[in-house]
This record gives sequence, structure tokens and C-alpha cells, in this order.
Amino acid sequence: MSVKPVLAKLIDTSTCIGCKACEVACQEWNDQEFTISGGLGGDYQTQPDVTHNFWNLIKFNEESHDDQMSWLMAKYQCMHCADPGCLKACPAPGAIVVLDNGIVDFNQDNCIGCGYCITGCPFDIPRLNPQTNKVYKCTLCSDRTEVGLEPACIKACPTSCLTFGTRSELLQKAKDRSQELQDDGIKTAGVYNPIGVGGTNVMYVLAHADRPEAYGLPKDPKIPWAVWFWKSPLKWLGNLILIGGILGTFVHYLRYGPKNYQDEND
Amino acid sequence: MTERRIERFSFTERIMHWLAALSFLYAALTGLALWSHRLYWLAAVFGGGETVRGWHPWGGIVFTLTIGYMFRNWARQMKLDREDLQWLRRAHRYAIHDDKDLPEANKFNAGQKMLFWVQSVATILLLFSGTVLWWPHSMSQNLRLLAILIHPISAILSIGAIIVHIYMGTAAVPGAFRGMIQGWVRPEWASSHHPKWFREISKR
Repeated sequence: MSVKPVLAKLIDTSTCIGCKACEVACQEWNDQEFTISGGLGGDYQTQPDVTHNFWNLIKFNEESHDDQMSWLMAKYQCMHCADPGCLKACPAPGAIVVLDNGIVDFNQDNCIGCGYCITGCPFDIPRLNPQTNKVYKCTLCSDRTEVGLEPACIKACPTSCLTFGTRSELLQKAKDRSQELQDDGIKTAGVYNPIGVGGTNVMYVLAHADRPEAYGLPKDPKIPWAVWFWKSPLKWLGNLILIGGILGTFVHYLRYGPKNYQDEND
Repeated sequence: MTERRIERFSFTERIMHWLAALSFLYAALTGLALWSHRLYWLAAVFGGGETVRGWHPWGGIVFTLTIGYMFRNWARQMKLDREDLQWLRRAHRYAIHDDKDLPEANKFNAGQKMLFWVQSVATILLLFSGTVLWWPHSMSQNLRLLAILIHPISAILSIGAIIVHIYMGTAAVPGAFRGMIQGWVRPEWASSHHPKWFREISKR
């Protein structure tokens, strides 16, 4: 069995111009009807959040300090975690799969619409379509990558802020770029590849890597403690109680038999 | 022979009990299907994962209603008194059929009372956490995280208690099952298992 290299996407926020070509390409390729949800709040951001039919959103975050205004743009989508919380929480076998190229894909045929993946995801990405009762998110264009094409968002990006390749190659590229930014005087530049979820196959170069929250990215994402507790110790304890209960009552009957009363012959 | 029959549970009580049993069985088995991938085959038995996800909550609602009836019907008789606590401390002796030093049981012994309270508490917890899990997208993340812990914990408690209950009601205490199916027991059964109750109804 040949081991396929893990594929990844790198988002260099320092060269993002907020053109939204990636958003359009995503909608186009995935044949999504565009319905504005949440309204246009006099804002550059297309809509407040990702939705079941809008998987790729550039978040526009404004910041001002000392009379300086900065505009932090970051494309937001599924991070394709190495240790995906959605998968850990999912009760339906085959509904969430990790492809051998590292893509975390949802297979709607097997999805039962319980929404546990939404609870398991530290990035708050999966969204339920109330019509189909299935959950959707970015597929990293698994239908394109399997035939050797790059994801639609990458293809559409005019500034090469988005790049696609193997994980090891892009991680190096991200480090080089961060170094470059640091050399240019942006001391806080760095890579966002959160280790709490085993690293992500969607990585960022951030000018303010010390505070990813400013970009709308969680600081130190981890699979929620409750999800881990539920799927590890609680599951074993529960199984022990249930199997122990069934076996225990059976053994009790063999050892002590029924509780009799005087009139046994009626 | 009718005088040899003592009514144990009324027709309504039996209907409600078996409605509870069926809805519990359905909710427990469909719940277990989603509890472990190894038990997911249970989902196929009940019409597939989507069907199970859609109907499991309704099984829970029916069960909750039957528990509500039982609560109204029996709560007063289920109060634990000092003798019950004594009984519970000696429950291991009851388990090995060494009943000499056990306080005499009324209509329900202390073990049955415990089942009643465990199910009452578990049902309330299951109802609230289940509501969160039913509509996860309308709930806050903290509520959902709480619910994915509370729901299985209370379910394990509830199923664990039911395993003992089913064993006691069928194999372990001959005569008990007829009390819940046909509704009556023999006087000897009543005086042996529930002497206080037997004396009380004999006075009538």
C-alpha cells in the first residue's frame, strides 16, 4: 500500500485582498444556491457566518489601536484537523471519513442529522441543512483533488494568498513566509497550525499569530473536554455497567435462584 | 377461587406500566444504537439511522408521560421512611434470600422505591438533556456539551436500574410478573413479600 501524501491548504493572510473570489469559486464549483443569511449589515463581510450552503467565508475584522486602523481578513472554512472533533462525536459510521490524503469529508448518505459533529467541532464549522436534515461543510474539494485538481478557492485566488500542496511542503512555506514577515519588522508573524487538534491541514500565516482571535480563529482549539469524556471513560464505564448488570443478574440467579414463598404449587 | 386473588395493580396501572416498558425499550435500544458504533446495527433493526434519530425523542416523550402518571399515582407510597433506610442497609441480605432481619415491606419494598426515585430523577435529566440534543442547532455550545454528558449518564443509570428491575420482576421473584400482567397475586405471595401491605388490605 502506497502512502499518499497529506494534502493541505495554506492561507497567507498578509497577501489577502478580500476580493472574495474564493467565496464565489466555492459556491460555483459546489453548485450552491446563494441566499444571503443574516442580512447585509452594512459590512464588507458577505454574511455573519458560514452556513450549510456557504462553506467559505472571508471574515473582515477591523481593529484600531493608537489611531491606527488595521483590517484583518481571513478566509474561514473547515480546518481539516488531523484529529477531528466532528469525527470523534459522530455516531453514524461512515458519515464522516478521513480520506487517505488527510481530507475530512462528510458523506451525507450516511449522515443521520443528529448534529453531534457541530458540538464536537472546536471551530464551529458544520452546519445542518434543515430541509435535508444533513450536515455540510467544506470538502477541500475532495471531488477535485481526487483527480489531481486543486480546490476551487485556490484556483480562483488572484494574489496567490491561497496555495495548495502537500502538508510538509506548505508547512515549510508557511515558516519561511513568517520569517520573511518577521524580517520585515512584523515581529508577531507566525504560523497557525493548532496542535491541540493534532495540527490542521488548513494552515494560516498570520501577522498577529500571538492573537489569532483577532482574525476570528480560536486561540487554542481542542476537542471539547465533554466530548472526550463522553467517548472515552464514560463509554467504558457505561459498557461495564450494562454488561455487568446483565451478567451479574444471571450469575445471581445461578447462585441464589429465585425468592420463593411457601405456596409454590399454585 | 376469586378470594384467592388479591389485586396488585389496577388495569390502568398495568396499561401505563407496559406503555412505559415498550417506550423505554424502544428509546433504550435506539439510544444504544447511537451510543457505540459497535451497536449501530440496532439502528438498522429500527429502520435506519435517520429514522432512529427522528423517532428516538418521541419514544422518550411517551416514556416521560408514563413516568409522569406513575409519579402522580405512586409518589406518596414511595416515600422512604426509617425502616426503608434500614432495609437498604441490609439489601445484600435480601439479595441472598436471608430476609429474617429485614423490616417488613409495605406495598413497595425499599428496593422498589429506589427504582422509582432513580427513574424519576433520570427521566427528568433525560428529558432536559434530550431536548437540547433534539434541537442542537438552536442551543448554545455549553448547553450541548452539558447535554452530551448528562444524557448518557442518566441513561446508563436508568438502564442499569431497569436490568435489575426486569430480573426481579421475572426470574428472581416468582409471582411478581403475574401481578403486573394479570394484576393479581396469591395471598401467600403478598404476606411473604409485602407483609405490611397484606395485613392492611386484609383488614378491609
